[in-house]
Amino acid sequence: MTPRSTTSGSNLFPYIPAILLFFAAAPLGLSCGPLWGVGVFALAVVSLVTARRQQGRLQEQAGPDWLLDERLLQAQKMGAIGQLSAGVAHEINNPLAIIRQEAQWMQTLLQTDHFRGLEEAKELYDSLREIIHQVDRGKEITHNLLDFARKRQPVLQAVAVNKLVADMAALVDKEARQKGIKIMQHLAPDLPPVYADAPQLRQVILNLLNNAVYAVQRNGEVTVTTRLAGENALEVIISDTGPGIPPEDLPRIFEPFFTTKPPGQGTGLGLAICHGIIEKLGGRITAANRAGQGAEFTIRLPLNPRGSVVSGQ
Amino acid sequence: MAPKILLVDDEERFRTTLAKMLKAQGLEVTALGSGREALAELEKQPYDVMVLDMRMPEMDGIAALTEIKKIAPQTEVIILTGHASMDAAVEAMRLGGYDYLLKPCPVEDLLAKIESAYERKMTREGK
Repeated sequence: MTPRSTTSGSNLFPYIPAILLFFAAAPLGLSCGPLWGVGVFALAVVSLVTARRQQGRLQEQAGPDWLLDERLLQAQKMGAIGQLSAGVAHEINNPLAIIRQEAQWMQTLLQTDHFRGLEEAKELYDSLREIIHQVDRGKEITHNLLDFARKRQPVLQAVAVNKLVADMAALVDKEARQKGIKIMQHLAPDLPPVYADAPQLRQVILNLLNNAVYAVQRNGEVTVTTRLAGENALEVIISDTGPGIPPEDLPRIFEPFFTTKPPGQGTGLGLAICHGIIEKLGGRITAANRAGQGAEFTIRLPLNPRGSVVSGQ
Repeated sequence: MAPKILLVDDEERFRTTLAKMLKAQGLEVTALGSGREALAELEKQPYDVMVLDMRMPEMDGIAALTEIKKIAPQTEVIILTGHASMDAAVEAMRLGGYDYLLKPCPVEDLLAKIESAYERKMTREGK
C-alpha cells in the first residue's frame, strides 16, 4: 500500500483563473475605464470563492484516504519508535546493570569490619543507595518506553480461562443487552489452567466479543464456548448470529489495516493485534463462517508450552 | 557443600563483580565470558546452577542453552536478559531454562532464584 497524494499540499491550479483575473483587473480599469476594472475584479473574487469551495468539497471526499495515509504514517512512525526504543533500552540496560551492581558491591564492602565505626561510612552508604535508586528510575524509563511502543512481551502465568472469559462477557453484556443481543456462555467445567499472559488474553477475548456484538448490530446472539481440544490444548470459540464474513475477506481478516468497518469506526488493527498476541502465546487464532449464519473465531491455546515452568517477573 | 554456580556473561566487569557478590554469599562461583567456554567447562565438571546472559556475541544464550541441555541436562539454567530480548527469554523457558531475570536487577532477586533452582535440582536428585 503506497500513500496516495492528498489535496492538502500547495495545489494552486484551481486558483489560476482567479489570479489571472486579479492581475487583469488593474490594467483593464486603466485602459477601458473603471467600470471594466471593477467588473473584472468582482469576477476574480467570485472565481476565487468558487475555487475555494470546490477545494473544500474535494478535501471532504478525500477524508477517508487522508485518514488512511495518516494512520499508515502513524503506524510507520510507531514501528520506527518501537525498534529504536527496543535497541536503546537494551543498550542502556547493560551499563545500568553494571552501575547498579558496582554500587551494591560497594555497599557490601562498606558493611565489613574494616569500615565499621568510620564516620563517613554511613554517608557513603547513603550516596550509594541514592545511585541505586536513580538506576532503578532509569530502568523504569526504558521499560516504559518499550511499553509505549507496544513492545511489551507476554509474562506467562497460570490463567483460569473460564473465569477470564466470564469476566469479559460480563463487561460486554450491558451494552449488548441494550441492543437486544444475548451473550451465551458454554464453558466446559474443570478446565486446566493455560500458561498465558492474562492482560493480553483479556484484550483478545474482549476484542472478539466487541467485534461479534458489532457484527450482530441488533437482536441476536453471541456465544462464547470453552472446551478441551485434545490432551494439550484448549479452545475458546466466539460465534455470532451476524451476517458473517464475506468469503473474499476471510484470508485477509488478520492483516493489519484490513477493516470492513466504515472509515473512522475501525483502525483495522484489532484483529491483527489479537493474532500477534495469540501467536506469541504459542497458540492459533482462526476465523470462519458458521454453516447457518454468522462468523466464528476460534482461539487454540497450548495448556503448558512444552512442560516448562514459567514464573512472572 | 556450597552450590556450584557457573556464571556466563560477555560483559567482563558485570560478571567479575557479580561473581564477587555471589562468592560473598558463600556460593562457589566460576565466571566465564562466552557460551563456548561454558560448554567446555561443563564437559570438564558438573555445576548445580548456571546463570546465563541471553545476548552474547558469537554464541547467544539460546544456542548455548540448546547445547547445555544436551551435555549437562542436570544443571538448572537461569537466564539474564535485557527487556528487549524477552522473546528470547520465553523461548529459553521452552528449551528447559529454569527461570529468567531482567537486567538490571538486585542481587537479592538473583540469589533467591539461584536458591530455588538449587532446591529443585536437589529434590529431583532425591538429596
